[in-house]
Amino acid sequence: MKRVFAFIAFFITMMSAALQPMNSFAENNSDSTNIPAESRLAITYLCGSDSVILTATLSIKKGDNTLALENAPIEFTASNGTICKLLGKAKTDQEGIAVVKVVSAGLPGDKDGMVAYVAKFAGTGKYPGAEASLNAKPAKIRLFFSIEDSLRILKVTATQKNEKGEEVAIPKETVLIYVPRLFSLLKIGEIALDETGTGTLEFPKEIVGDTLGNLVVVAKIEEHDKFGFVQGKNVINWGVHKQYYKAEVPSRELWTPIAPLWMIITLLVMLAGVWAHYMYAVYELVMIKRLSKKDKPLF
Amino acid sequence: MELQQKNPLKEFAPQLEQTSIQGYAWIIFLLAVIGLGVYAFLQQVFHGHEVTGMRDNVVWGVYIVNFIFFMGISYAGALISGTLHLFKTAWRKPVIRMAEFITVISLLIGPCFILLCIGRLDRLPYLVLFGRIQSPITWDVIAISTDIFGCFIFLYLAVLRDLATLRDYELLRLPNWRKKLYKTLALGYTGTPEQQQRLNRATDIMAAMVISIAIIVYSVLAWIFSVTLQPGWHSTIFGPYFVIAAVYSGSAVLILAMWVFRRVYHLEAYITKKHFVAVGVIMLVLAAFFGYFTFSDYLTKWYGSEKNDELLIQLLFKEFYWPFIISNYVGVLLPLLVVGIARFRTITNITLTAIVVVISLWLNRYIIVVPTLESPYLPIQDARPEWLNYSATWVEWSLTAAGVAVFCLLFTLASKFITIIPVSGIEGEEKKEDVLI
Repeated sequence: MKRVFAFIAFFITMMSAALQPMNSFAENNSDSTNIPAESRLAITYLCGSDSVILTATLSIKKGDNTLALENAPIEFTASNGTICKLLGKAKTDQEGIAVVKVVSAGLPGDKDGMVAYVAKFAGTGKYPGAEASLNAKPAKIRLFFSIEDSLRILKVTATQKNEKGEEVAIPKETVLIYVPRLFSLLKIGEIALDETGTGTLEFPKEIVGDTLGNLVVVAKIEEHDKFGFVQGKNVINWGVHKQYYKAEVPSRELWTPIAPLWMIITLLVMLAGVWAHYMYAVYELVMIKRLSKKDKPLF
Repeated sequence: MELQQKNPLKEFAPQLEQTSIQGYAWIIFLLAVIGLGVYAFLQQVFHGHEVTGMRDNVVWGVYIVNFIFFMGISYAGALISGTLHLFKTAWRKPVIRMAEFITVISLLIGPCFILLCIGRLDRLPYLVLFGRIQSPITWDVIAISTDIFGCFIFLYLAVLRDLATLRDYELLRLPNWRKKLYKTLALGYTGTPEQQQRLNRATDIMAAMVISIAIIVYSVLAWIFSVTLQPGWHSTIFGPYFVIAAVYSGSAVLILAMWVFRRVYHLEAYITKKHFVAVGVIMLVLAAFFGYFTFSDYLTKWYGSEKNDELLIQLLFKEFYWPFIISNYVGVLLPLLVVGIARFRTITNITLTAIVVVISLWLNRYIIVVPTLESPYLPIQDARPEWLNYSATWVEWSLTAAGVAVFCLLFTLASKFITIIPVSGIEGEEKKEDVLI
């Protein structure tokens, strides 16, 4: 008996050792309440055709753990050094993200048109405040579609405003072209802008659109020192028409009105066969009970 | 009166009449473990599945492993008891009742783990209201519920003679309610030729049914995995592989039950080394089959060199190295050596081997479920790094322990309600010879 228990103890120890790597992460994540919390705020910027989207991400670092802070108020401002304009306030979601969208017209820019954007978390009794900022100049990307010699041509122009408020070209920049897919943007090409801020791309023919062939085309200047992220988008019906599969006959798909006939027959035959035998067994039990009433006991 | 004096129930009566202090301590211990499980369950109810290690990408964990494990030993019990009954195996009497108990008790526990896995239990009725016959989940629900009925009927038929014996044994010192219960459940069975004929016919039919249902039901469980395109699951041999693994683990659990009850109720005269060797040989044959299926499954995956299969095999040999080695090497080779070589073939060695087999088969289910879910086809986006890997929490381990405790408790209580060895068939010296081989 002792030998068996000793063996069980030994084997459980071995098993614990074997399973150790599977549990290692949980142990590394142990929280320590004595370590001070540090607030971290990051800001990103996306300039659309008529608006600017500011996104702030707030997280709390405590020891080795970093967690998103939910429901925290974030204040967004824009300034040019002398004028400071409140753009809006937003609360963080469960991922610690707060977003504001403002009209790009009327943003306070300096003599070069640069706007300083600031996101600020005032802090709470438990978590310290934090601030993040970035500078960017508003810009605009426009997309035009045309057919030339049976070729589908996408033309892109990028502009910025000069000190007089007039639109002028953004020359010699690279614009990336995407189409949105299920999970992310699919890159379909790059356009190098010329001196006039214009560039073209032969649009591919095999991209799948919606059922009408409509495609959203997105043009982006990314991580630019001066303009940051600039985006323009337009819709064109140059996509391959999406064909939704509609099962005409019963099949294995769960959304078909009825299961395949062979499946229904198999199931019914099997169930009928099994339950018929059950019923027979129960019938025999009932008969045993009935027999007891008329038979004389043997013992 | 003469029959009563020869009645072997006299020998087994203390098992039903009394519970020792150790017996009560054992029951209290089991209740304490179950209490811990209840506390863990309440944590899960109030805080949701956040308290478990399951996350968006690894949606199945220890619960589903336990479900497969308990269902496996249940089907094994049905297959073993049904086969022993149909073939009228000479040595079956002392072990067949345990196999029947294993079938029914584990069949009650297994599905509970599925309920623990479900995030929105309030939507459970939808399975019936809006169930689709095309769904393997629906197949499983139908199959398990059908199996539960069948196994209960089979167990009832198997114990009917003993219930009649208990009803008629006047020297049994039991409360009146229990005697009345025996009388009701015995259905007035007195052993007339016609009653015997009917009972034998029904038992034979149900034995054949539980064997076939066990094979179908466990195959359906395997198909839940194999009809998906997931690497490691999408296999044509998963049905028979699961069935073999189930009977293999069940034979090991049966050996453990034999060892425990032999010790606790002093059944050395009834459960002898020959019985351990006989069930051990069943375990040995199943170990060989299990090893063959495992090798065949992994060989075809490895040789096919499909990208995701290769990644999975790499994962198994790196992050899941020890569980993989224990389940697929130690768990296969040990029974072959211990039972295969006559020198090592002792009761203790066979029992120890059974412990290793039970643990290795549990790990086998773990490495079927978790590594595949940790390596999905689509890249995981915007997920926290700690969500990419599964690590069971204390809540899951507590509920696992509670499941084992419920199994042991029900087994203990069942053995207090009816003798762990069928007494109705071993009256007289001639029958006793059969039992002892």
